[in-house]
Amino acid sequence: MAKKNQHIEKAILMNDTEIEYVLTDNPPRGGMKHTYFTPDRKFAIQFFNKEEDAENPQMHSRLENIVGLYNPTLAEEYGGAMGNTKETAAYFANLFCWPVALIKYPEFGVVCPTYPPNFFFGKHAVKSGVNLDMAGKDKKSRWFTSRAISKCLADDECGNFQTMLRLSISLARAVRRLHTAGLSHSDLSSNNVLIDPKTGTCVVIDIDSLVVPGVFPPEVAGTKGYIAPEVLETMDLPFDDPGRKLPCATTDLFALPVLLYEYLLKRHPLDGPKIYTTTSTEDDEYMQYGPMATFIENPHDTSNRPDDLQVTIHDLGPYLEKMFLQAFVEGMHDPEKRPTAAQWEKALVKTWDLLQPCPNSNCKAKWFVLHDVRNPVCPHCGTRLRADDVIHVRLKKPMRGRKGQWQQTGEINLYDNMPLFKWHFLANVYPDEKMQDRTMQAYISHQGSEWYLVNNALEGMLSPKGNLVPIGQAVWLRNGEMFPTSNQQDALLMEVVKG
Amino acid sequence: MSYVRRLPVYLLLDCSGSMSGEPIESVRQGIKMLVNELKGDPQALETACLSVITFASVAQQTSPLTELMLFKEPKLEASGATSLGGALKVLRECIDKEVRKTTENQKGDWKPLVFILTDGMHTDDDEFDRQTADIKSLKVANIIAVGAGPYVEQSTLKRITDNVLLMNTASAGDLSKFFAWVSGSIKMSSKSLDAKPGGAIELPPPPQGFTIVP
Repeated sequence: MAKKNQHIEKAILMNDTEIEYVLTDNPPRGGMKHTYFTPDRKFAIQFFNKEEDAENPQMHSRLENIVGLYNPTLAEEYGGAMGNTKETAAYFANLFCWPVALIKYPEFGVVCPTYPPNFFFGKHAVKSGVNLDMAGKDKKSRWFTSRAISKCLADDECGNFQTMLRLSISLARAVRRLHTAGLSHSDLSSNNVLIDPKTGTCVVIDIDSLVVPGVFPPEVAGTKGYIAPEVLETMDLPFDDPGRKLPCATTDLFALPVLLYEYLLKRHPLDGPKIYTTTSTEDDEYMQYGPMATFIENPHDTSNRPDDLQVTIHDLGPYLEKMFLQAFVEGMHDPEKRPTAAQWEKALVKTWDLLQPCPNSNCKAKWFVLHDVRNPVCPHCGTRLRADDVIHVRLKKPMRGRKGQWQQTGEINLYDNMPLFKWHFLANVYPDEKMQDRTMQAYISHQGSEWYLVNNALEGMLSPKGNLVPIGQAVWLRNGEMFPTSNQQDALLMEVVKG
Repeated sequence: MSYVRRLPVYLLLDCSGSMSGEPIESVRQGIKMLVNELKGDPQALETACLSVITFASVAQQTSPLTELMLFKEPKLEASGATSLGGALKVLRECIDKEVRKTTENQKGDWKPLVFILTDGMHTDDDEFDRQTADIKSLKVANIIAVGAGPYVEQSTLKRITDNVLLMNTASAGDLSKFFAWVSGSIKMSSKSLDAKPGGAIELPPPPQGFTIVP
């Protein structure tokens, strides 16, 4: 409902439909655009700050492509990206705040959905006694990744290690989706990714600076701390100089791991004690993020390593450790060596399977990556697990054309009440946007020193002896046992390893 | 241990007699709004530190350089003359004392951002001449001088800095726009990285009705 005295204006979209918006005196203003809202606040109506941007044909062409041909949040049958189904479109509509339409009158502009309500802080966002009013502010990643600020937030706002890992997977998947289509975000930063650690969700915003194949790239400055070193180093060269490095997929592949590192470890990978030059703070910072950028956990060069590192990339498990080294040591000044978004997604998903709840009820992280079963200690609080509480299974799939031979596809740590899904039982099923069936197939029950796999919904589940296990019945998991988990054709083999 | 660099911000505010009444009240409101705005921006909250220096018959630092979370608004009263020269002297002393330099062992602060707001001519010629003799060439800070109303002399402000802005009046409306713009400038400085160290600072376009003095 429009309030009294509200000044309602009408805008006309490219397809000639009208949309109303509320004209305000001081609309929120970003680097490129300013924003009004529809009376129901479901959509943001954005116009450009500069006339030259609004009238730039390259800008029009880029945005037309973004709203249509390259739109992963719209099914192909409705004019969205090729091969996009309604289901995958719905999945990605949750990960992006993607422009839905372009405006032609009163001037060129963009219509975007507003962010879902869980990406705004509520009334009790800060600890009591903290002099900050957060209510209604959007949840830019920065609020959670800065130690100084996140200290002020109420504990339940900050989620835990598991929810941070969950939203990290979503972000890697979102960037993978862009890159698969040949798009790059070009300004990924803690301002352009909103996160809700409470629910473990994220949404990528400011989609309109995307680099679209074949269309002149936007001139974005990027955000401090997320600009790839090679972009910063060549920023002084003219825009069309062949030596000038512009934002592209490989620069996204610098910004993405910076964000992931911040989400999982609550610090920036380049912010260490090293002083690069004493000529001025500005010169020092330029070196730090540009030509001399040194990863604080670089094993070969410890000059930038803080002396109070408690949780390190090693504690994130083997998959992520390797990836961070590849991104920030080999790939720091060699963009081609940076891992792809798909590799990040895979490594994060594999790491998810290594999660273990911390038995210490006061542990703020609540979860940790159990990567060394012989030394099961939570790196966040130092609590050690009892040997009886440690068990993992190796998942193996049949090798094509070699009957009786199996290839390991994954390794999972088990814990009491852990849910298991289709991808834990069937080969060639992945927990990504294409997997719509997310019903719990089975769960783990830990009683005393024994472990059981309880069938919840899995058709044809088999016991180690090969007997059918009906729904509601359980299988006893004993050390060393190896068995096909069901009589389905693509069934995975499970090998139990205790303690 | 944090390795975050600070952005020191100094507000030099004219509290001479001509500012009494609505203008000084608008300045009080403006500072309140500025601090609230900046606290709503994570980068600004993390990096910006704020200090207020007032000048009337004497110039003094009324709020020492403080992080935003702990900042307390100064009590402002308007009366007396306009010792802008004195304010520049206090500014330089404060920068010397409060702004950290990058050394072998510590991450320094960024070059301070200074906003000067005045509605008239300075009344301390000698001090003003002394201070402006080298303030531009020393480049100790990025200074923006804003003149309000008809009694401001552009050429005088130009002796302090090349960044001079004029607004028509010292009315509540204009002053509120001024503080909104200061807030925008601080937010922008805390996010963008100085790609060319030592280059000109980038500020948002000034509000409607303000003119940039070329």
